[in-house]
Amino acid sequence: MPDWKQMVRDRMNSMGADFDESVVSELAVHLEDVYETTCSRGVPEILALEQALEEGKDWRILARNIQRATSKEDRMNYRTKSLWLPALITLLGASVSLVFFQYLGVRPHLERFGNAALSLDWAWLVSLPIFGALGAHLSGRAHASATARLAVGLAPAIVMLIAMGVILPWGLAIDGIHFIRLVGFGLGLINGVVIPALALLVGTVPFLYKSRPDQKTTAS
Amino acid sequence: MSKRIRSQIARGSGELAILSLLAEQPLYGFEIAKQIGERTGGALKFTLASLYPLLYEMEKRGWLEAHWQQNQAGRDRRYYRLTAAGRRQLTPLREEWRSFFQALDALAGVNHA
Repeated sequence: MPDWKQMVRDRMNSMGADFDESVVSELAVHLEDVYETTCSRGVPEILALEQALEEGKDWRILARNIQRATSKEDRMNYRTKSLWLPALITLLGASVSLVFFQYLGVRPHLERFGNAALSLDWAWLVSLPIFGALGAHLSGRAHASATARLAVGLAPAIVMLIAMGVILPWGLAIDGIHFIRLVGFGLGLINGVVIPALALLVGTVPFLYKSRPDQKTTAS
Repeated sequence: MSKRIRSQIARGSGELAILSLLAEQPLYGFEIAKQIGERTGGALKFTLASLYPLLYEMEKRGWLEAHWQQNQAGRDRRYYRLTAAGRRQLTPLREEWRSFFQALDALAGVNHA
């Protein structure tokens, strides 16, 4: 019986790449299965061996393709392309938009509830669905899951939520727990997280399950 | 048809074929190639060179997960199964290919050829 693992290792490692033993073993058992199936059809062993090795076609190309498909760097690129970069673009877009409207002198509308008030920046809120949609679209183009697309679309609200999660315990530790402070924090949460999240969601939802544009024709 | 388009169609159809098969049961590489060949009457043929880069790529995307276990003959084989993310890919992929063939049929009457 041929030493399939050694055969695979010799051919694959001629590329200078060091493949995981699991990959070598898997390819070796595949060749073994092809060889045995061919032999069981009455094909002479030497021809069955040739036929099995033919499965690899150009081993240099195979080694390169497997290297590309298993590389950790590519995995990191995938995470970057599908999550971090689109999230950064959404966050940046939302931030620039806020600064832009402030620069133009557009003032927030104050909605009063007794002594408390919500500061609604309508112009900015109206612009947010665009950035939610952009982030979810970019994330979807990189094969991201619906959850990742949602996280990307809501990135500015998530960042605000994290920031407030850090600020509140500090505030409470320094000033103590006061009702008015908790109310202020609750309003801040609605103002800075919930309302922007709803606006971002309007743009994000249509892209949650939408497939990549190039899949229509190539489905790759 | 350019080599690039052919390769993309082959890749896309390969993804759908693999996801569809694994939606039924976990299989190892040789079985995947064998069943695809048998069930398509040899129209779709996977070799070691075309199958494994695709399987590893799909595994990396989180559509598949694999583990070693013994097959019926008591030999260790690396079995692939669909993840929840892979299962979610199946419906839109099927829909895209259906649309693709409908469009091609409208253009070239491939169903009646």
